[in-house]
Amino acid sequence: MDKRTLSQARPFLVLGLVLLAWLLLPTAVRTLLRVSFSEFHAPAVVTASHLRDLQAFWGTRLHSKRDLIEAGRDLARLNAHYELGIQELETIRLERDRLEALLDLPSVPGYRYEIARVARRDFTSWWQQVLIRKGSRHGLEEGMGVIFSGGVVGVVREVHTYTAVVDLLSSPRVRMAVFVEGDDRPVSFRGGANPALGPAFGRADFVPADISASPDRPRLVVTSGLGGIFPAGLAVGLIEQLEPGPDGLFRTGRVALDPRLNRLAEVAVLVPLEDGSGPAP
Amino acid sequence: MIARQLHRGFKTKLKVVAAIFGALLLVITAGLGYRQILHQEAFSERETLQSQRRILLPGPRGNILDREGRILVDNRPRFAAVIHLSDANLRRQFRQEYLTRFREAREAGERISPRQLEIAARAAVVQQHLDTINALLQADLAIDPAALDRHFRIQPLLPFNLINDLNPEAFARLLENLPVDSPVQITSSHARNYPHGPAAAHSLGYVVSSLDLPLEDLPGGALTTFATQGSFGRSGLERGFDDILRGTTGLEIWVVDPAGFNVERIEYRPPVQGQNLATTLDLDLQLAGEAAFADRRGGLAAIDITNGEVLAIVSKPAYDLNELSPSISRETFTRIEEEGAWLNRVTQGLYPPGSTYKLITAIAALRAGLLDPEIKINCPGYHQVAGRRFPCHNRRGHGDLDLAEAIRVSCNVYFYKVGLETGVARIAEESRRFGLHEPTGIEIPFEARGMIIPDDAWKRQRVGMPWFPGDTANLSIGQGYLRTTPLHMALFTAGLARDQTGLNPTIIRRSPSRIEPAAATPIGLSPLQRESLLAGMEEAVQQGTARFTRLPGIRVGAKTGTAQVRTPEGTLELAWTIAIAPMDQPRIAVAVVVEGEDPDVSNAGGMVAAPVVRQVLQAWFQKHPWTSPEVAAAPPR
Repeated sequence: MDKRTLSQARPFLVLGLVLLAWLLLPTAVRTLLRVSFSEFHAPAVVTASHLRDLQAFWGTRLHSKRDLIEAGRDLARLNAHYELGIQELETIRLERDRLEALLDLPSVPGYRYEIARVARRDFTSWWQQVLIRKGSRHGLEEGMGVIFSGGVVGVVREVHTYTAVVDLLSSPRVRMAVFVEGDDRPVSFRGGANPALGPAFGRADFVPADISASPDRPRLVVTSGLGGIFPAGLAVGLIEQLEPGPDGLFRTGRVALDPRLNRLAEVAVLVPLEDGSGPAP
Repeated sequence: MIARQLHRGFKTKLKVVAAIFGALLLVITAGLGYRQILHQEAFSERETLQSQRRILLPGPRGNILDREGRILVDNRPRFAAVIHLSDANLRRQFRQEYLTRFREAREAGERISPRQLEIAARAAVVQQHLDTINALLQADLAIDPAALDRHFRIQPLLPFNLINDLNPEAFARLLENLPVDSPVQITSSHARNYPHGPAAAHSLGYVVSSLDLPLEDLPGGALTTFATQGSFGRSGLERGFDDILRGTTGLEIWVVDPAGFNVERIEYRPPVQGQNLATTLDLDLQLAGEAAFADRRGGLAAIDITNGEVLAIVSKPAYDLNELSPSISRETFTRIEEEGAWLNRVTQGLYPPGSTYKLITAIAALRAGLLDPEIKINCPGYHQVAGRRFPCHNRRGHGDLDLAEAIRVSCNVYFYKVGLETGVARIAEESRRFGLHEPTGIEIPFEARGMIIPDDAWKRQRVGMPWFPGDTANLSIGQGYLRTTPLHMALFTAGLARDQTGLNPTIIRRSPSRIEPAAATPIGLSPLQRESLLAGMEEAVQQGTARFTRLPGIRVGAKTGTAQVRTPEGTLELAWTIAIAPMDQPRIAVAVVVEGEDPDVSNAGGMVAAPVVRQVLQAWFQKHPWTSPEVAAAPPR
């Protein structure tokens, strides 16, 4: 082998050696290196996210006073609407507590919400995930549910000190028990093999054969509340089509997910309360 | 020179050696060619057999429906948590656990056989996964190492069940909390479901699990095959129509590694559900009959007079079919057996029909020209036969009666006299004309074959004694050796309403064009004779023994009966009622027998069986718009 050829092959040789060294490293060391990389890498991602927020802030400041006044009015109306909702919820909660005490029932698991900004969105054929700017410092743990105003976002997969990785509903790694709205039999939902671009979808399995859906009359899929991660009734997606399974007992279907999942800016992590008290959504 | 000579010698030898090696190589090459080319197919087949495995997947059974398409039997999903033993991660965990245990045993100086170590290591790893489930479900389940090892040896390709029959909460919790790539997964299978529990249990039947699946033209017959459990009908329609109800078996063919674990699925045929079976049963009538019986023992058959379709079959005591699905526990089996509930009393229960049989005695006499329905016969309260006094149920006597009156009050003496005049041969022959001596041919398996229509020849053969006039007196009122089933009596009643014998019963709903015409023949009574019989039945409802079958606004005809049977506990009474309604346009025939359970308690047909008939008729008339509004509004009694 002449000198020139050797020189050309050197980068590949080095890459091979590095890969070999990485493979030969003990698992503990590899894990440590990976975590360290995430922790060192996180500030850069978080800073970039903050800069984007700042950019958005200055962008908003360019709006005219008239726009701001109108937005303020809309916001006031929305606040009033929410206030009313909160009061109604409070009444229902008190009634629920009274009935629980009366019937000696265990408390419905409660959650507190940890609001987190989305620092980065990764949508590829390999994974569908977002990085949020909250981590173990804020009480986040793996397996916690994440929601937004449109329903379920996904499940926390990795937790670092200041950041956490959330697997989106569109990821095949997310699976949950859901109800088809109006029915109380649990159905399996799992994220689909989503491409990098295009509308996100999931798959519903074990759908009872007597449930029907069509693009004209889609059926809403909501969380069952049975799995212990999410409370009941949060929107997951819409079943637009169901195909009969071979056994005649179940159908399988495609679940169209909320397109807003692709442009999430802020989410809420459901942190279970230890004593089961507190506001339940 | 010398060297050249030597070399020449070597050259010859070398040639010989080369020739030998060449020949040997030729043999080897020929052998290889022979095996590779000529036996290529056989070796290829052997390779396939070694590297491929087949899994059979049973098809779900079809549903059983009532005459209006309502579900009587369907399938319910069963969710189970299973662990896939072929999972690569799991097998790695097995190896690591084995090595750890091996090192520990070596360090401790223990001598444990590798086989025992392997079993213990696998059980420990599977238990770890089960502990995850235990934590999620707050359960305390443990692995049976022997069962796991057995499964591992016999069917490693099939998942090992950790928990069967998960409830919805457990299903949801595991689904949501187990990692998607975990070797533990949730799978579904199917079991028979009976939405109405014990209703029509004996007619519908039950299924039992089996690994013996139907294999219609499935490929890979020579491959090592594993099968998940299917089911086949064990009794009732499930058995009689098993070939229609059972699904088509699906299959998977897997390429496996040398250890026998699956690598790649190369063929898949999904199982297909069996066909549905539409019955003639009417769920409303069936439930009404079940409710009317309550806790009593006996049987009920209701038949559509127009075509012989069975509308309801109630046999009590019954059993909740859901208790038998997916499998029957020993306790359940024993309990049902002790209760005597396995017997289908409608098609298998053999009873003396009591006074309901008097109609056949009358028909035999009328057809023989030995009875004028308008001639009155005196009942003094008993009849002396060969020195023995045969009593009437009215000890003071009914006085002078014609046929209709005798039927109305169910006078024994009238029929003793008519029967003795007619003779056993004619009565027995009439019974046979109505088919009381042979199975009806209904599609429910295991119909009784031991019906008894006694006559002189039968008694000599079976009892070893001649036939006495007293036997004829007993037979005339449906007592003595006579034995038949409630279904036979229901068919006789329907035949009487149709003025025909030979009605074929069916419990399978067929299109009218596919119904085979019955080989029916007219009974052979004059209009006046038939009218007398039916008038007697109608009067029995209006003011006679069958008044508890009366429905306001509806013309019902009925005949009651109370038969006695000797048992070790004493003489028990069987309460009978047969009925036709409406009399002006007969549509439904019902036969009911209720078994007495206490020798000291009266169990008269008119008091016990007639109200049961009434409730079934009421349910039927409530469903038909041309019925009287009074019936529809009347509360069940």
